[in-house]
Amino acid sequence: MTIFSGGRRRAALALALSGVLALTVAACGDDGSGAGGDKGAEGSGKGKITFWDNNGGVRTDIWKEIIADFEKAHPDIDVEYVGVASKEVQSKYDTAIQGGGLPDVGGVGAAMLAGIAAQNALEPLDERIEASSLKGKLNKSMVESVRSAGGQGELFTVPTSASNGVLYYRTDLFKAAGLAEPSTWSKFYEAADKLTQKDKNRFGYTIRGGAGSIAQALDAMYGQSGIKQFWNGDRTTVNDPKNVAALQKYAGLFKKNTPAADVNNDFTKMVAQWDSGEIGMLNHNLGSYQDHVKALGTQKFRGIPNPTLDDGTRVQVSNPVDGLGLFSSSKNKAAAWKFIEFAASHESNSKWNRSAGAIPANTEAAKDPWIQETETTRLAADVLFSGKATIVELPYYLPDWNTISKADNEAEFQKVLLGRSTAEQFLDALAEQLNTAQAEWKQQNK
Amino acid sequence: MTTETTLTAAPSPGAAHAAPPPDRTPPAAGRRHRRSWDEIPRWQIYLPLGIYLVFTLVPFYWILLFAVRPAGSTSLVPWPMTTAHFEKVWTERSFGVFFQNSLLIGVAVLVTTTVVALAGGYALARFDFRIKKGFMLALLCSQFVPGALLLVPLFQIFAELRMINSIGSVIIAETVFQLPLSMILISGFIRNVPYSLEEAAWVDGCNRFHAFRIVVLPLLRPGLVAVGSFAFVHAWNHFLFALMFLSSQSKQTIPVGLNTLMGADSVDLGALAAGGVIAAVPVVIVFAFIQKWLVTGFSAGAVKG
Repeated sequence: MTIFSGGRRRAALALALSGVLALTVAACGDDGSGAGGDKGAEGSGKGKITFWDNNGGVRTDIWKEIIADFEKAHPDIDVEYVGVASKEVQSKYDTAIQGGGLPDVGGVGAAMLAGIAAQNALEPLDERIEASSLKGKLNKSMVESVRSAGGQGELFTVPTSASNGVLYYRTDLFKAAGLAEPSTWSKFYEAADKLTQKDKNRFGYTIRGGAGSIAQALDAMYGQSGIKQFWNGDRTTVNDPKNVAALQKYAGLFKKNTPAADVNNDFTKMVAQWDSGEIGMLNHNLGSYQDHVKALGTQKFRGIPNPTLDDGTRVQVSNPVDGLGLFSSSKNKAAAWKFIEFAASHESNSKWNRSAGAIPANTEAAKDPWIQETETTRLAADVLFSGKATIVELPYYLPDWNTISKADNEAEFQKVLLGRSTAEQFLDALAEQLNTAQAEWKQQNK
Repeated sequence: MTTETTLTAAPSPGAAHAAPPPDRTPPAAGRRHRRSWDEIPRWQIYLPLGIYLVFTLVPFYWILLFAVRPAGSTSLVPWPMTTAHFEKVWTERSFGVFFQNSLLIGVAVLVTTTVVALAGGYALARFDFRIKKGFMLALLCSQFVPGALLLVPLFQIFAELRMINSIGSVIIAETVFQLPLSMILISGFIRNVPYSLEEAAWVDGCNRFHAFRIVVLPLLRPGLVAVGSFAFVHAWNHFLFALMFLSSQSKQTIPVGLNTLMGADSVDLGALAAGGVIAAVPVVIVFAFIQKWLVTGFSAGAVKG
């Protein structure tokens, strides 16, 4: 009997503990209100707002610094920072649009802008910018790029930064091999050949064959073909014979001048093997500059704009412009806008872009001395804004762009690298998908 | 209507298909002699195992190497050694907080899954009821539904319950997803415990619950360890629900934190490796302690279903 009464006590204790646990874990939740299409409210301009960083983790420190500055300047507004990993941010936004729980402010890159805007989740910002201190202080080409990416003729984010394609090359290996800077595609291919010594595990180039391969392949393709428009009427130029030839040549580097494992390269693997091995060249963007500095120092490599044609013609594809969006469901839009305005201001924008090695959207920030001191960023900014390059605008405005350029075709590009498909077959199929998506988009936006 | 299964009279399901006793007759002339375990040269055992071990351990060595060597080093040995990456992820990247959250979720899922699966597994093992077969089939079928498919409905349910951004939402979702397999496993373990033991306890004055607690439960220890550890490890590693249901930095878990160490264009490999080590350590410790019971538990549950 003693056992039983002890058992009762223990059972009661277990039940009590379970209750406490249940109350603990259920506490502090919220109702996830704020789905796509909710109208929200202007609010008092005070209180708490939530900010989702679309590149959480690597940019957390600088955002926390900017938030601290903001809260100091606006003591009546409290910003809750939520860092979301870049790979997951699209699905996190999509789930919140469907189920609720959208933030007040969020980082939204141009590549995902159309999909989010199409679900009525973002507030148009033209009028707010006109009436704010940001008027006339945002880079016009970035503003237009973001406007175009939104797909509805309205500005859904305040642009904050831009990146650009960069050809990183190992100056020490080039010097040892007596090679000139790979400033043209001819020199690029020559260097890739000369620097490859497979028996010593040395390669001239590392190609991106895994996640994110399509945009990089398109950049190399248009850069070599010199074709200056993505669309010729309602038909894409991706499968133009010049582009086909360019892609075939570029894909021919695989295994000849690159490691065989490159077929699965996402940017992480690509950057890691370039930073830790003996590979001559790497195509990426400004974002990985600091990683290369950490791994190689500043003396062993340079980052220059992508190569030109032999006659100096420079054509490149557009890189998605990053920006801050105000979500329609916000119940405190006034405070949320204050935060956006502050984050895109001269000082904050300069601070953020300096940390990321990116090009500021704020025109005053773009004139700050640090840009002149960072060669890779200065060269990229020069290419973007000097008018010396033709930028082929990728159709970020197509809601299907992310699907077409990632899920649908990355595996197909791998087939080209592995010789199981030709560049022509790949580009014809890609062109078909793009033409269909463009026609649908036009139909929807009549 | 529920009826009790009388297992004392009926032969166990496995008995009809019991394996025949081992053949002890000497090999016939011309028949190939099968070597005993002791006759096999040691190298034929250790070489394949060694090769397998190398394949398994090299990635771990690589993670450890990146975690402890200074940024920028290309050395293949972890010397000179630094703890800078660990300090960075633990403090600057809030892995200390993520660790606590993961631990809370893991332990809570372990407890709730084990307790509920025990009750459900007992019912499945000891009672016959009208929809038992259909219920078992439903449990099995639920294993084919990926969590991602139910994300939006779950999100809406938790939103209705005002549990978005609450650790409870992750605990409930993880528990619910792990219960079917756990119940099936535990019902298998309980079937292996002779019903006559419980009946004897009843004769001695126990009611069903106490007979279960005093007689059956101690015999289920290997199975409980197997199911509990499986639940803990799964909850510890699971990423999707924590990513979607939790927003506040202070409530996120280790797998979500690990993911944030890989930026859109930039990745801190040292910090990522250190985070990976932190994520792996509890799982390794758990397995080191429960290995003996785990093998016994899974094999016991796997034989009879």
